[in-house]
Amino acid sequence: MTRALRCIGEPVSWLRLEELAIGISRAGVAEHVEACPACKHSFASITSDVVAMPPLVVPVRAPSTRRWWLIPAYAACAAAIVLFVVSRGRPGSSDAIKGGDISVGVIRERDGAIRDDAFTFAATDRFKVVVTCPPRFDTWVDVAVVEAGATKADFPVEAARIACGNRVVIPGAFVLTTPRPHRVCVRVGSGSAPPRTLPRDDDDDVRCVTLSPER
Amino acid sequence: MEAATDPQSAYRTWGPALVRKAERILRSREDAIDVVHALFADLLPRWTQDVDLPYLYRAVTNRCLNVVRDRGTRARLLEREHTSAAPVGRVRLEDQVVGIGLIAALADRLDGGHLDVLVARFVDDMTQDEIAEHLGLSRKTIGKRLDRIRDEVIALRGEAAS
Repeated sequence: MTRALRCIGEPVSWLRLEELAIGISRAGVAEHVEACPACKHSFASITSDVVAMPPLVVPVRAPSTRRWWLIPAYAACAAAIVLFVVSRGRPGSSDAIKGGDISVGVIRERDGAIRDDAFTFAATDRFKVVVTCPPRFDTWVDVAVVEAGATKADFPVEAARIACGNRVVIPGAFVLTTPRPHRVCVRVGSGSAPPRTLPRDDDDDVRCVTLSPER
Repeated sequence: MEAATDPQSAYRTWGPALVRKAERILRSREDAIDVVHALFADLLPRWTQDVDLPYLYRAVTNRCLNVVRDRGTRARLLEREHTSAAPVGRVRLEDQVVGIGLIAALADRLDGGHLDVLVARFVDDMTQDEIAEHLGLSRKTIGKRLDRIRDEVIALRGEAAS
């Protein structure tokens, strides 16, 4: 179903309306919008809209193998790292991230409405997982979903390596198809993707939230 | 057009406009946010001062068309289109507002150049002159592509009726 509003002349494009909304005015655009109910309506839909943009996080990328001229620099960095690790002394004092260093949340999308404070679900809801962890880390994360009473976990998205920060969105989304409570867990791994085993609340490298079905 | 000084400020300033554009194609805000977020994440390492809103507009069109071409995602979006908010149709193609169903059908019959014009004219509501400037093509080329698009829509209708 669509609604039709007739423009009084040639409609002002959405790009021009967006420009107008951020203060870039081209000749005749503002005047047309003021006079035309259809374009005024479209412009109002822009100015009244609020978009919750997720944080833009710098992706972690593997260094290119073709940069052979960087080899001496890498060697120097490696030597510095070795010196740093040796100088830290006590074995076992790894700086790897632990489950306790992160918090887990979800973003729920229902018919276009996005909420980050909802922990209930209906059949068509889509979820994304967000994690918050100390910015100095980058880490592997893997999402596991465990239905109440299940002895196996589902892994609905690919394990991902992320640069830590505030509410970092893990790529991928999932839906919950059975109307039973589900635990949504994130397992972290420092050097590689973590093992895909059943997450338990007392695992040191796991944090979970529970999503409940709406009756 | 004002140039973006850095990707973070461009993301804050233009991100919402790009999300609304992607949402007009995909009819799903979350998918639209995913498209725009992924675009900026990819652009971060190679950001230049040449990146402006029209450039990002074209990039979002390409990414949305890729989403529509993915048959799995397409099926989910088509299912959702029936329940999504009705768009305001200011520019129509053969008397219908272009939605994801029509874009998907035409994506199987037209190349990328024609689909860019389709989106610019019937989703972004650009004039032919504006499309020509936006895509760096002649107005004559735009006119030819619009004619071809209309022919394909008529052919689609004929096939649906038979």
